[in-house]
Amino acid sequence: MSDARPMRRNPGPSWGYGFLLWAERWWPRWVFRPALMAGTWIGFWGMPEQRRHSREFLAIVRGRRPTVREEWRHFFAFAEFLMRKLRAGRGIEVKCVLLPEHAAEFTTLARSAQPALFGTFHFGCSDLLGYLLGEFGRTVSIVRLRVDNSDDTRLLGARFGARTSFLWVNDPANLLFELKATLEGGGSLALKCDRLEFSARAEPFEFLGARRLFPFTIYHLAVLFDRPVVFCFARPGSDEDAIEVQASPVFRPQPGAGREANLQAARGHFQGVLAALEAAVRREPELWFNFLPLNPAVADGAEGRA
Amino acid sequence: MPEPTPLRLKQLIIATLKLEGTQPEDIPDDEPLIGSPRFGFDSIDALEIALAVEKQFGVKLGSSEESRQALASVSALAAYLAKQRG
Repeated sequence: MSDARPMRRNPGPSWGYGFLLWAERWWPRWVFRPALMAGTWIGFWGMPEQRRHSREFLAIVRGRRPTVREEWRHFFAFAEFLMRKLRAGRGIEVKCVLLPEHAAEFTTLARSAQPALFGTFHFGCSDLLGYLLGEFGRTVSIVRLRVDNSDDTRLLGARFGARTSFLWVNDPANLLFELKATLEGGGSLALKCDRLEFSARAEPFEFLGARRLFPFTIYHLAVLFDRPVVFCFARPGSDEDAIEVQASPVFRPQPGAGREANLQAARGHFQGVLAALEAAVRREPELWFNFLPLNPAVADGAEGRA
Repeated sequence: MPEPTPLRLKQLIIATLKLEGTQPEDIPDDEPLIGSPRFGFDSIDALEIALAVEKQFGVKLGSSEESRQALASVSALAAYLAKQRG
């Protein structure tokens, strides 16, 4: 894909991930953890825009202005998640525990040879779901936005092994044709469905007290290519290197039903997924790793096409 | 396989995207299909058109860059398909 815009980068110095990996490995935990907390404070005060978005999000979830400690906890949860990713990237095994609800349906699909679309969100440990798919022997292309310092993702990719690959998004105009090529080649795709930035189509769904726009492209792809869709997202498990995975029911387009009927059924499916996500967000708001404006609310009856 | 004339392509676009009330002559030959303010086609529409074209004319659109160029306008699409069909 061609570079259509200047490459963005994650916050922090270029040597940041390398240093964190080194320090986490060699410093005793009683030194490393306070250092990580102190580093998070520095990041917290140095990123006023992200802090403002965090504050606005937490205020919506909690129904009141969050305390500074709650805002910092949001940032620290992200720092802890980043460490999980880096630990996984350097070879520490991640134990995936699939929660019982919809687990059988998910497992049946994941074990089958049928190409599928796997959706997730920037929530909790969902970046580590590649491990889960790898356990089922799935070959999956994970759609990711390329940023300048993607070392965490590069390390994870190396760990996920040959069965998972990253489909880097540089140029959104080409993205859907890249996805088409993958789907026509019999591959499965994994994509995050909460940020609107590269979404071809968005539609309004009930989420956190309003009808908010969410990417709906995954379902259009499902209907166009007759692929099932399943969502899963993960939170930290009880063990430092374990994650708990919540799966959704599987959405399967009905070949004889027609496009509109299938998309209508898809809307119902996605609303159910978002209701489960909202419940998880309300339980642990600090695990919502979108330090961006919350998905915009639209007036009742307005159709979103973003 | 039918010939991919501009008229056939326009009829296919209208049928695929269910553009009720739109006639083939309403779609200019050289206007960009995607991002046109007149029709508001987006990349999902482009994907649908690409799939319909492949099915109807038996031609596989190439890489993403090639697909984008082919779908630049009705004329570009007709020329691309004619070239592919030799």
